Amino acid sequence: MSFPIKPDPGRRRFVGHSLLALTAVGLGSTGALAARLDTRPPALDRYQPVFFKADEWRFIKAAVDRLIPADDTGPGALEANVPVFLDLQLASDYGEAASWYMQGPFVPDAPSVFGYQLPYTPAELYRAAIAAIDAHCRKAHGDAFAALTTADQEHVLSSLENGDIQLPDTDRGPLPARSFFGFLLKNTKEGFLADPIYGGNKHMVGWKMLGFTGARASFREWVDQYDRPYPLGPVSLSGEISR
Amino acid sequence: MSARSRTADDPSAVATRRPARRRSIAVVATAIPLAMVISVLAFANPAGPGDPASRSPAAKPDKALVAQGAYLARMGDCTACHTAPGGKPFAGGLAIESPFGAIYSTNITPDKATGIGNYTRDEFAAALRKGIRADGKRLYPAMPYPAYASISDHDIDALYAYFMHGVAPVHHQPQQTDLGFPFNQRWTLMFWDWMFAGTPRSAPAPDGHDAVARGRYLVQGLGHCGSCHTPRGLAFQSKALDDGDPAFLSGAELNGWLAPSLRGKRTSSEATAGDGLGGWSHEDIVNYLATGRNAHAAVAGEMKSVVEHSTSHLNDADLNAIAAYLKTLPSHRAKPDQVGSNSSDARDTTQRLTKATDLSHGGRLYLDNCGACHFADGRGAKTVFPVLDGNSLINADNPTGLIHVILAGAQLPSTPGAPESLMMPGFAWRLNDQDVATLATFLRQAWGNKASKVTARQVADVRKKLGPDDMHGNGPDDPYPGLQMHADAEDD
Repeated sequence: MSFPIKPDPGRRRFVGHSLLALTAVGLGSTGALAARLDTRPPALDRYQPVFFKADEWRFIKAAVDRLIPADDTGPGALEANVPVFLDLQLASDYGEAASWYMQGPFVPDAPSVFGYQLPYTPAELYRAAIAAIDAHCRKAHGDAFAALTTADQEHVLSSLENGDIQLPDTDRGPLPARSFFGFLLKNTKEGFLADPIYGGNKHMVGWKMLGFTGARASFREWVDQYDRPYPLGPVSLSGEISR
Repeated sequence: MSARSRTADDPSAVATRRPARRRSIAVVATAIPLAMVISVLAFANPAGPGDPASRSPAAKPDKALVAQGAYLARMGDCTACHTAPGGKPFAGGLAIESPFGAIYSTNITPDKATGIGNYTRDEFAAALRKGIRADGKRLYPAMPYPAYASISDHDIDALYAYFMHGVAPVHHQPQQTDLGFPFNQRWTLMFWDWMFAGTPRSAPAPDGHDAVARGRYLVQGLGHCGSCHTPRGLAFQSKALDDGDPAFLSGAELNGWLAPSLRGKRTSSEATAGDGLGGWSHEDIVNYLATGRNAHAAVAGEMKSVVEHSTSHLNDADLNAIAAYLKTLPSHRAKPDQVGSNSSDARDTTQRLTKATDLSHGGRLYLDNCGACHFADGRGAKTVFPVLDGNSLINADNPTGLIHVILAGAQLPSTPGAPESLMMPGFAWRLNDQDVATLATFLRQAWGNKASKVTARQVADVRKKLGPDDMHGNGPDDPYPGLQMHADAEDD
């Protein structure tokens, strides 16, 4: 699904900021230019979220742990720092839908070719939906989502996915549970598989699970090595190496 | 010392090239005390005024002669030192830092007040060939006048015509060079000149009929190739000014970079580290000078500016003459090192990188950072990605140039013959000092390469000195500007 670019001052502002940033880089101190990028991933339990509030943070950690749990296959979304990825994405351009067309009319029934049809930015959608789901959980299960049993959490998520839970409308319109679940699942996968520079996929655990080689782009000598398993682990954009 | 120190701090100084800037300071530092010592032994007279034979200023411009002079000024790369960044052509003002104070290049436009507009043809000739300016004072041996001594009368006439009539006068007084005592005693340089500078000759320039003779004239004279490519002695003089000595063009170090040997007449088709241009064909030399790239190499370091401003503007006849001449110079080594891609060492590295099952950390770094362009066999791609096997930059005794290229990247000049300014991005943002040292060590010992290990400290020293103008290609933008992703970083 691709979204049209919004031709309003917001985009120009975005471009302007980018140019400013470029200028700043150009004039920046030489030490910074020649310095090694800081790629140390934060420890999840010490990370201070910049977008999520405390109860939202608990919800996100519990939800992504259900979507990609650690199991025999390998580490899960928590080991991959997926909550950090979501927090940083929602706090930056993606969360603000900075490059999307975000003016009406919004037609929820429109075919997908017409793109995103909700009035909420991703940040607004997460905020509203998490509050509504926690309210639903308290009513239906007696506690917030994060405090429920694994089975109850899975039941709630399945219900969201199937549209069995009706979240109350906001003052801006309907709050479709399936749309939110779609965002949450997609963004969780992205956090598990995107380059670690974006905060998730810590130490490339997602790539190692899949056997993806990361940012190497150098395979010419493999064209004629038939039937040999590829022996190298991934390398990240910022140069982190894994065996 | 002579030309490597081409500072051109005098109105009459003509051609200089950036490579030598920092070196030139050392040259001045050493040469002047030496001259002072000698001056105690010999009672000396400040140098007298230049030859007063013809004092009539330039008469009428001869268009053909002016055009020839413009071409010769390209050959001498006068602009490299006499045009300041962002300044008007030849108006001087380029600051060269030295331990004794800044040295400033001078205005060599025909402005009468601030340039060389009052120079007669013979005063101009004396500056170029003898290092003596119009008021009789000595130039710092930053001017390559020991090489320029052999410029023919006709070419002096052409250069003079160009600088009088082809260059726009610019009224601009660059900052005066004001070194403290004793370095401001320019007259003492007469002893250095007496010992080390060439004797001015005024034989006619060979024409194109004898390509080797023409090449010799250009390489030894206006091209002043030896200023960087000939090793220097204790007083920083060039050990040889012509091909009568095997030290001529046998390679030297410049600001930590190798200015490789240009000798090595051989017929083998493979480049051989440490043996100059032995592996380059006549066409390889022509292509390199004309476009900064050939089947083996891509220009980097100080030579980039030389290709960009000077050699890429030369005509085919002169490029061929230079190549023909260089191919007559035998290797300066009795037994050239046999390093190169056909060795079993080279095949071993290629096989290791191809199998990728038993890689050293250096080999892994190579595949992750370099292999996509330079490939497992280190052969790169002709005129695009330089060959790393046998590469002179990689095999240089001093790894500074290699470290610099890994950290900061490099970019080919855009030349008339090859406009694409291809770039290798720097890896400073992606590799820490230890990784760069490991990678550089791998490169210096991979394939047929044989050079010493590189330490993280050496890398740190180069990294410290990198400025914004050195860097090619930035790393990825911070995806979350302003957000502190690493504040809670694990200590792993």
